[in-house]
Amino acid sequence: MQKFFSSRKLVIVIVCLIISFGLMSVSVAFRNNRNTPPLVQQFGNDIVGFGDRIVAIPMNGVQHGFASIHNLLNTYQENQKLKSKVDQLAQTQVKDQVLERENKQLKRQLNVGSTLTGYEKINAAVITRTPSSWASQVVINKGQAAGVKKNMPVIAGPGLIGTVAEVNKTNSKVVLISNTAENSNRFAIQIIGAGSKVVNGVITSYDSQSNRIVMGNITSKAKLSKGDRVTTSGLGGVIPKGIYVGTVSKIAEDDYGLAKKVYIKPAANLNDIEVVSVAVRN
Amino acid sequence: MKRRIPIAFIFVIGEFIAFFLDGSLSQILSGTLYRYPNSLVPSLTLMWLILAVFFGDSKKLHITMWSAIIGFIFDMYYTGLLGVYVFIFPLVIYLCQTVYQMLPPNFMSGFLVYFLGITVWVSLGFVANSFIGQTSDSVAQFMVNTLAPTLAINLVFMALAYFPIEPLYRSHRQ
Repeated sequence: MQKFFSSRKLVIVIVCLIISFGLMSVSVAFRNNRNTPPLVQQFGNDIVGFGDRIVAIPMNGVQHGFASIHNLLNTYQENQKLKSKVDQLAQTQVKDQVLERENKQLKRQLNVGSTLTGYEKINAAVITRTPSSWASQVVINKGQAAGVKKNMPVIAGPGLIGTVAEVNKTNSKVVLISNTAENSNRFAIQIIGAGSKVVNGVITSYDSQSNRIVMGNITSKAKLSKGDRVTTSGLGGVIPKGIYVGTVSKIAEDDYGLAKKVYIKPAANLNDIEVVSVAVRN
Repeated sequence: MKRRIPIAFIFVIGEFIAFFLDGSLSQILSGTLYRYPNSLVPSLTLMWLILAVFFGDSKKLHITMWSAIIGFIFDMYYTGLLGVYVFIFPLVIYLCQTVYQMLPPNFMSGFLVYFLGITVWVSLGFVANSFIGQTSDSVAQFMVNTLAPTLAINLVFMALAYFPIEPLYRSHRQ
């Protein structure tokens, strides 16, 4: 131990610490302010991303094998359940088509071009997930080249799962809504309550103990109830309107008793994401 | 006779495979590994490095240099936050090397050193992450929900990998 604290080693340790803190602050600043990381980092990430595919593709193949066996065992039950839903689905689909056409016609009549609801999807596969207990992050296989930009919302299955945090040429990082970092999770969302009154707000945090998204600072008097649907509101930034987020699971007072705090059950399963789509506002 | 692949080459390739497997395992088993509130973080990268410290010739393999390189790639590719693991990996390797030299070279001391290595690796990662506001967990929460499960899973991996990897390095020593 005497040797460890000899002055040369001490100097090395201190220099390393300074470089470490410096690099950390710089990369946090880059992440918050710039649209793309520095070119060197981007280039490195692209190369590593290609290497990763060599390992990720067989691993995902193995998982698909297990998943299909599991599915096979469940098929009978699932089939029965699905049959009952099919009729309903067809009905909704037809109605949706009619409404969409009507909406288009009305928009044309009113000379309204594109509104906040229109968006297109870029489909991508998940390559890997950050092996860390704090950064809930996945890497997807589409980047700048496919038109992905920073802060775009990402959807998997039924609903929103996160936003794009870093874009490289051929891959990008998606921060999930389950991330508890202080500077993430700021979506504009809305809840349509009783009597179709709309409550607008922002996702403020994530409660990892109960797996709920928290929407804070609500001062509206509109009555909300359990099971109300939550969607993105399209206000501010690049997130389109009408992406399904989840359902209201609990309504509580905030710490000071002045505003309400709504706990939202996310629609998508955040721990089983294989294929995602990035929503691009028209 | 066939020409043998140099051990340094096997070491580096294995290192990268372990690195990518970390991410793939996290992705495929995310439902099990990151179920709330616990998180079991696999670290095959660190395991491969520490096992190389145990069995290989660290001067010939340049383990410290490679641990810094893999740490840098880890920062860049997985977390996007530079300057964290690029220093933590070499530090843990240095620590393990120093402690392992003082102990008799057998499985039990390897197990102990690995226990120490993982603890330091996870704890320093936690300190760095709370420094930049990536996590708001308290120390008690961290110990129960992250450190203990992570130690458990990594020690299991290490116990499984120790005996197959030992002959690999031994056969190249002659």
